[in-house]
Amino acid sequence: MSIAVIRFPGTNNENDVLKALGQIPEANPYLVPSRKGSAGLEDADAVVIPGGFSYGDYLRAGAIASVEVIVEGIRDLAEDGKPILGISNGFQILTEMGLLPGALLPNQTARFICKWVYLKVNETNSIFTENLENAVLRLPVAHAEGNYYCTPEQHVALNDERRIPFRYCDVSGEITVDSNPDGSIENIAGIINQRGNVLGLMPHPERASRGILGSTDGLHVLENFVRATK
Amino acid sequence: MDLIHEGKVKKVYQDPESDDRVIIEFTDIMIAGDGKKRVEIEGKGKLACRMTEFLLGFLEGKDIDTHFVRALDGPQFLSRKVEIYPIEVVCRNVAAGSFCQRYGVEKGRVLTSPLVEFFLKDDSFHDSVITEKAITSLGIVTFEVLQFMKSVTLSVNYYLSELFKQEGLSLVDFKLEFGSTKAGHIVVADELSGDTMRVWDDKSKSSDKDVFREGKGGLVKAYTRLVDSLLRAKPEDVLDRTEIIQVVVQPKSGIKNPPGEVTKRALVRLGFDVVEDVRVGKIFNIIIKRPLTSEILTQLKIMNVKLLSNPISEYNEVNLG
Repeated sequence: MSIAVIRFPGTNNENDVLKALGQIPEANPYLVPSRKGSAGLEDADAVVIPGGFSYGDYLRAGAIASVEVIVEGIRDLAEDGKPILGISNGFQILTEMGLLPGALLPNQTARFICKWVYLKVNETNSIFTENLENAVLRLPVAHAEGNYYCTPEQHVALNDERRIPFRYCDVSGEITVDSNPDGSIENIAGIINQRGNVLGLMPHPERASRGILGSTDGLHVLENFVRATK
Repeated sequence: MDLIHEGKVKKVYQDPESDDRVIIEFTDIMIAGDGKKRVEIEGKGKLACRMTEFLLGFLEGKDIDTHFVRALDGPQFLSRKVEIYPIEVVCRNVAAGSFCQRYGVEKGRVLTSPLVEFFLKDDSFHDSVITEKAITSLGIVTFEVLQFMKSVTLSVNYYLSELFKQEGLSLVDFKLEFGSTKAGHIVVADELSGDTMRVWDDKSKSSDKDVFREGKGGLVKAYTRLVDSLLRAKPEDVLDRTEIIQVVVQPKSGIKNPPGEVTKRALVRLGFDVVEDVRVGKIFNIIIKRPLTSEILTQLKIMNVKLLSNPISEYNEVNLG
């Protein structure tokens, strides 16, 4: 399965994502610099937008990248039902593109947060959470703008349509105020689109994809993503 | 042709070929002193029409939206049909006329920067001066429309002044009217001639309606001189002016604003405990090398929603000048 890993100027997690996906037998990840435009996505069965600081996060995190030419190609793939995964800055880009609702505002603490967190997996209609229902995953976050915010109407829709696969929780899986690192509404760490093929996630699964990194929990999320490309 | 409006010195006819256009006809009537002085001067209408055609055409060439479409035979021109706003916009570079009486300033005093004033277009109130705040408070036009008119007026002032300068003439002041087209575009309307502006040569000699106001005679000669100067001028030599549009983006109330919070804490730490809250936003100076138009205003709104601000969490505000 051909998985395009997009690199915008300022993206810095592309190698981690390529390595992590490379461990999964069916995955064939390859790097696509954003300047290639939609042509760079011709053979793609799926897309990952890795983390980093695209365009220096000038204006707003992900805003400038969200109007690049290649974004139209990503939008087309999403409409075709191809899996799209935006990690961290990738999640910010997906909301700025309008593929996912809401916005990622500056963290409540006004600080860049880099630490291990726990995630409670909720059941969704999406393949991303398959076999992980109710699991508690340990993944790292590293962001300054991860404070998920949306309108009350969007919030209701996200809950009603079971589109919140990941919430910050404590080690025992309890969703508490203290376990929310950035001030996100209802401890939201990741959301999916209505169709279930686009996932935006603030924590980094690629940084929890082998034992030596301290956790392999992220690998399960990536494996689900790869399986979804079939 | 159907007469649809008769003003004091001009008549407006419906263009038989298009609902969206009208034909404006100039008469030889000359009025001054709040209607007290009224005569007919043969040939004046034709000259005022000629000047208007030339100057509005020149402004169109500089990308300023006007109602002018094209010249016609006789003292008439074809224009877009507009709804005229009930305010007159006056721009002054040098003190003259009612301004001198109002503030007790000597005629000829050069103002430190061009001054835009508004007048209520209502003869029963003798076209009295009105403040910007009164205009928006009375709902005559919105703040945005007022800012737009002001910006366009200053652009017109620049382009006209530069053109006259080539001929050794200085633009003392002028009056503009604005109208709204069916599509909602705001355009410079009415006329632009010796009747609506003051133009002086290097010896402060008038080539405009003041010749009549002051009862000197020779108005046709003065207007002819002004038209001849304009025909000699080189519009292409007038350089484009830069406009700066300011877009202010700020966090909506209720949205957490960590940059503001840390700034507030730091200010309090410095002893400024009067500070209750700080909200930090952004300012964009958008620089364009052409005058503002309704089309550009629409583009600005799209820019704001598409990129400059995130409508979910931020307000945006456009400042035109």
